[in-house]
Amino acid sequence: MMNRRIFLGQSAAVAGLAMGVSTQTRANTLKTAQVVVVGAGYGGATAAKYLRLLSNNTAQVTLIEPNAQFISCPMSNLVVGGSRQIAEITSPYAGLEKNHGVKMVKDSVASIDATKKTVLLASGKTVKYDKLVLSPGIGLMMESIEGLDAANKAGVTLQAWKAGPETVALHKQIADMKDGGVYALSIPMAPYRCPPGPYERVCQVANYLKKHKPKSKVLVLDANQDVTSKGKLFKEAWAKMYPGIIEYRPQHNVTAVDAKTRTLKFDVQDDIKADVLNLLPLMRAGDLVVKAGLADANGRWSTVNYLNFESTKAKDVHIIGDSIQVAPLMPKSGHMANQHAKVTAAAIVAELAGIAINPQPVLTNTCYSFVNETEVVHVASVHQYVAAEKTFKTVAGSGGLSTAPTALEGVYAWGWAKNIWSDSLV
Amino acid sequence: MMKKNLFKTGMLTAGLSAAICVTTASAQDIQAQRLYAQSLAATCANCHGTNGVSAPGATMPVINQLTSSAMYEQLQAYKTGARTGTIMHQLAKGYTDEQLKIIADVLGKKN
Repeated sequence: MMNRRIFLGQSAAVAGLAMGVSTQTRANTLKTAQVVVVGAGYGGATAAKYLRLLSNNTAQVTLIEPNAQFISCPMSNLVVGGSRQIAEITSPYAGLEKNHGVKMVKDSVASIDATKKTVLLASGKTVKYDKLVLSPGIGLMMESIEGLDAANKAGVTLQAWKAGPETVALHKQIADMKDGGVYALSIPMAPYRCPPGPYERVCQVANYLKKHKPKSKVLVLDANQDVTSKGKLFKEAWAKMYPGIIEYRPQHNVTAVDAKTRTLKFDVQDDIKADVLNLLPLMRAGDLVVKAGLADANGRWSTVNYLNFESTKAKDVHIIGDSIQVAPLMPKSGHMANQHAKVTAAAIVAELAGIAINPQPVLTNTCYSFVNETEVVHVASVHQYVAAEKTFKTVAGSGGLSTAPTALEGVYAWGWAKNIWSDSLV
Repeated sequence: MMKKNLFKTGMLTAGLSAAICVTTASAQDIQAQRLYAQSLAATCANCHGTNGVSAPGATMPVINQLTSSAMYEQLQAYKTGARTGTIMHQLAKGYTDEQLKIIADVLGKKN
């Protein structure tokens, strides 16, 4: 009965559709099938909730997540910059169980047996599945920067690219830095999680330094040819709001770090020293996906069928969010992971109910970046499935950017955050 | 609940005394169309809340007070450029007219 309306209350809505659905009678296993979702971030939490909603609460859904709470990566740069607290971007998981009947298991998955259709939990327990949804986010390729693992262990370098304790620790390092110090952020070659994220972080750190340590510098060492997202908007904001604070160096690929001397080495350029070292290595699919042998694209990302996000390597294993090999112009973002989750949930419900999966799924992406504490710029896109090419493509003439930062979009950015947290978790 | 309701709708659609297999297929078509319509409307939920209902304190324009026809008019106005916005005029252009109609039918107030 919970949320019955979302599935059943729309007979008028569908009466006029001409979607050309053609189905044949197949077994309906919706009530008996075990659906297991791994990882309760933007992808997995949404998948679990929508598997319940779209099945009218008949699918049996288990969600496996080791963390006690959801901490959002979007908005976490505001915590790095010190204008917001980590509590403001933290949400409980209780709603998924209470409101939707998702079975939450606080554990992590050690391994997957795609033949026996089981997952082995870190606690030693085995869980059987009929359908498995993996949403493990990204893995950081620490080995891509020589000395990074040791520097992290020594407490010298941080990534803070998965929101949590590192986010708070990075702010503390910046707050403890002497006035006149240098904060260095290195950006890996794309694709990586959240294309505009590093450039938003630059704004937030510069905003903090301008107010509290005005003699300090932000040094941006970008392995890419140029700013990978919202380039013009970010560069305008840097020049206008933070003159003399930010130095942007494109095509600077960090290859090694010396923790003792806080020195960075590059492919080509001379060594650089900095006081705070926020180094982002290359990224790949979450460790679980890599270990399971499902990162078939360059050993880094998972190829999926975009109609249902099923792995091309393992039947009944669906992979969503940052871990997948993306379609053209599809960003690795929380918003996109939430959209993957809904397409996947609908496809799994359809398959289990014995009906045809949607031949025409749609995805959107909306990404807000704060250039200071209140003003925001966005990028948006709509991705339609193109059957002839078996991929998602952005629609010509749709999507786009802000023309300039505004406080109105800052208000909408918080509206977006609260609604997507609720849409994924409540 | 779901099965019962679908069965009823299927009967209505397929007409009286239809063979069982016909009724079943028809009910499945309707079930499929509902599922597609709901998942399409769910593309809006990231910004506007699940089923178009904003979370408490979410500072986003409220859409769930619009009727389906008013919502469709607004979406069309964004798509044609008659109405500008921060982001909706960019997103509306990515959907077909039929998709916008389905979304408005699912998310709009029914009376």
